[in-house]
Amino acid sequence: MVELEIQVLSDRREGLLVELGRVVVANNFSLLRQRLTQDSRGARLSMLVRGPVEQRFVLEEMLGTHNRVLSFEAALAGEAGIAPTGAGMFPAPADLEAATPAPLPPASLPDVSQVEHILPKLAQDYPQIYPWLVALENSVDDKVRESSLMLAGRRTGAWVYKRDYALGSKLGLAEAIRRIGVPALRQLADIEHHGVHVHILNSPLCTPGTQSGCKFYGGYLEGLLGASVEPKKVFVRHLGCRGTGAAFCSLEISH
Amino acid sequence: MSMQIDYNWLLVLLSYVVSVLGSFTALQLAVAIPLAATQRQKTAAVAMASGAMGLGAIWSMHFIAMLACDNGMEVRYDPSLTALSALVAFAACASGLMLVGHGRFGWLRLLAAGTCMGLGVASMHYIGMAAMLMAAEIHYDLHWVAASVAVAIVASMAALWLAFNLRGRLQMIGSALVMGVAVCGMHYTGMTAASFESNGGQLPDGYASGLRGDNLGLTIFVIVATLLVLMLLLHYWRYRYRSRISI
Repeated sequence: MVELEIQVLSDRREGLLVELGRVVVANNFSLLRQRLTQDSRGARLSMLVRGPVEQRFVLEEMLGTHNRVLSFEAALAGEAGIAPTGAGMFPAPADLEAATPAPLPPASLPDVSQVEHILPKLAQDYPQIYPWLVALENSVDDKVRESSLMLAGRRTGAWVYKRDYALGSKLGLAEAIRRIGVPALRQLADIEHHGVHVHILNSPLCTPGTQSGCKFYGGYLEGLLGASVEPKKVFVRHLGCRGTGAAFCSLEISH
Repeated sequence: MSMQIDYNWLLVLLSYVVSVLGSFTALQLAVAIPLAATQRQKTAAVAMASGAMGLGAIWSMHFIAMLACDNGMEVRYDPSLTALSALVAFAACASGLMLVGHGRFGWLRLLAAGTCMGLGVASMHYIGMAAMLMAAEIHYDLHWVAASVAVAIVASMAALWLAFNLRGRLQMIGSALVMGVAVCGMHYTGMTAASFESNGGQLPDGYASGLRGDNLGLTIFVIVATLLVLMLLLHYWRYRYRSRISI
């Protein structure tokens, strides 16, 4: 077993503990103590968690890439890795009972090991990555398929940003979509772009009658644009998919 | 009596090529400023970009263009003012790039940075002109002077906008071509503002110890060669950086 001190910064506090608590519990960690504070930069959540050592990096990966997390730090408890945010980093354990979220089955979370396995291949063959994405689709359980594709997309998008688009200044969302999101996505698929809406035509991941693979594109755009806009927060909503009968896959991007 | 000015068009073209080469190197260094993780890295990136822009794109361009300009008499240059013109160009570029190199790229920031860079180009030019030692006096048409400053500021803003807002080839090539227009446009508009009038062969103080065109040519060669080496190193470094990024 290992005890970790985790500190994350988010843009808002509502539901933060519940959402991140679910990730903690799903990785077989227990939340020992927590403290949620608000400062000028946003909501700062400090957690002391305990769990199996082999799950440590999976937990850190999932928290670090969580869409509510703006910045993330983790260190073994007792190490000087994280600067305390104020006197008394954690409250008494008695305060926690009500705040600890109900555990969720790990099935709704991505299969991180499969995604990690496929990522180097995506990097090596980018942008000809569809065979690997199909392999990922087939290698994970149906219940974690979408979340795994989304995680793979987010990691790929963040990597493409660092590789090809990081030089220059931070942009507003509309400019980032036009100058980064659209040209990057065009390397992967035929698309149409209308403001904050992106239509993916003929996606090999979303053939009629099969399950939707759109989550990959959503994650890809979140990873790509999340690093390029100021403030660092992008959400992608899935409006329609060829896999479910629509003429094309449609995504909506927002802050 | 106003003197006739003739230009060597090959050197005029070379002055634009050098300004584009310097701008390309400088702006490629400048767009990496927002990625600097430490203050030391940021200072180094600003210093290198300002060196490439101030000394390469602006200062070297100016003196190549002055070598292209033939007003019928031998011209030498005051060493102190010549050095000051290089320093001013460097400092103005550093200020502009510091302003534009962090945070979100807003219009106010662009206006301030473009003004710094544009005034840097213009100041360098007019200090460089003041450094001329010859048997003539220079008079300026103030309307053309104002136009030259406006050209420098507007084109600098356009170049910075292209460099920091766009991505891809247009960002790399377009911004350098436009910055070349800023520097050369300012210079040649400034030269239109100037008229040279002979003072009857009376040489100014310090003429004998002034820098000759040959000395400047060597200095310019060293700066341009340094720019080329810097550009190659930058290309190599970027190639290595891209291959080392982990997914």
